[in-house]
Amino acid sequence: MADNSADKPTKDVKLPRSSKGARSRFFDDPAIDQIMTFLLELMAETNALRERADTIERLLDEKGTINRDEIEAYRPDAECEAERSAWSQAFIQRVMRFHEPD
Amino acid sequence: MVSTSDALFAHKNSGIPDIEELPHSNLEERGRQRFCSALRRFAIQEMPEMVRKDFDQRVAPAHKAKGELIGDAVAIEEVMKGEASYRFYSTLRYNAQEMCFQSVQEPIERALPEMIDVAKAAVQRNPAGGSLRLNPEMPIPPYVSQLDVHLTPGCFHNEWVEDDVAQGAVVSLGARVFSASMNHRSWGGVAKVVSRWLKHERPDFAPVRILDIGTSSAKNLMPYAEAFPDSEAHGVDVAAPLLRYGHAVAEHEGIAIHLSQQNAEALDFPEGHFDLIVSSFFFHEITVDATRNVLRECRRLLRPGGVMVHQELPATCLVDAWEDFFWNWDTEHNNEPNYTSFRAQDPAVLLEEAGFGPDENFAQLLPDIGTYPERAEAFGWDEPGRPRHGKGAWYVFGSSLPS
Repeated sequence: MADNSADKPTKDVKLPRSSKGARSRFFDDPAIDQIMTFLLELMAETNALRERADTIERLLDEKGTINRDEIEAYRPDAECEAERSAWSQAFIQRVMRFHEPD
Repeated sequence: MVSTSDALFAHKNSGIPDIEELPHSNLEERGRQRFCSALRRFAIQEMPEMVRKDFDQRVAPAHKAKGELIGDAVAIEEVMKGEASYRFYSTLRYNAQEMCFQSVQEPIERALPEMIDVAKAAVQRNPAGGSLRLNPEMPIPPYVSQLDVHLTPGCFHNEWVEDDVAQGAVVSLGARVFSASMNHRSWGGVAKVVSRWLKHERPDFAPVRILDIGTSSAKNLMPYAEAFPDSEAHGVDVAAPLLRYGHAVAEHEGIAIHLSQQNAEALDFPEGHFDLIVSSFFFHEITVDATRNVLRECRRLLRPGGVMVHQELPATCLVDAWEDFFWNWDTEHNNEPNYTSFRAQDPAVLLEEAGFGPDENFAQLLPDIGTYPERAEAFGWDEPGRPRHGKGAWYVFGSSLPS
């Protein structure tokens, strides 16, 4: 992306990351609400890492040798998109293994 | 690489670039977005079944054994809110909601100056023949400004910079992440569903002017303009960033629509101006008093022979206790405080209060296009095997005026 900020009066905008209004609490101990956010963010990062590994493996299969730019530039085709979405759903199902009702 | 303003100058007589394609997510961001889509799907489609099973098999029998009646949504919430199944369902759904919007904010921040340039070019050139009319003096009603609706940080209306489109992008692209894995929800889906049903029910209906209230970025207005190409399509909303963004999308798509920043409780169009008035996902965001005002405005603006169709969440009186309980989650946890009180109103009463005739008023479930590609006709409320709203059907209420 070209750096054309010099000819633009607009400042860099930092959007707010939290919403106006009290955040809902679902557990008696608010630390559990916080831990759930940590867990889900960690799962999101794991998902992103898995996509990076999958990208590297696919490019290696295809080309034998690769560099960082190729990893960033890689755009999955429809079949790969579907496989990755299925992986993400299965990943959540594996981690979110709820106990059966007593 | 040439700057966006140079590129726009070079294409002065051609189309408007696609504003939705300007934010570029990197590999990490796309991985997180995919997770958010899958998490949202899991939280909204699979977890409710798990919670229901816990209620049916364990919680309800235990209360019934003690002789306690669990007859409505309030009673179900009372017995479920302390249960682990409901707490985990809620926390996953809540976090998924927050994460969907957060997952698109950084790419939008990086692309914002270019997006603003594109939206400004769309206003200056209007190659599709549409228009954008903003009113910076218009007060934002408190039911929009008091909370960030849908847990979208910045809500619909906030502007961070001149000519801002950021919230339009966050709402639009966040919702794309939100619904990516859900096969029965797609952009513009409601408008396609309603226009197909209208053409089936009224083959000769040819609206001259269409109005979409609470149009947001006009995603559910553009399909009407395409379904009725000889009509003039208007959309109103209180939020300027959504309207600027939607105008840029429409001018890129080559669809002429006329967007204006107005509060739907008091619009500046003359009496009897529209043949078709529509909305989608709108009334539950405003107070019940505002709903009554908007419906009276619809009555004033509808021409004899005109039709009004509002897609909404099914009223409490039209669903069972469990479904009622399920829908009301958003009231407290999705910053939509009017959700339960809107759904508690009988649509027939609201319509009659606004001056519509009981013989013309309706409340229907319409078949989703993706799930029912061959069926245009509404489901009967008692039809065996009919889907519920949000799972293959869309709830609408409305009326028409005699010619």
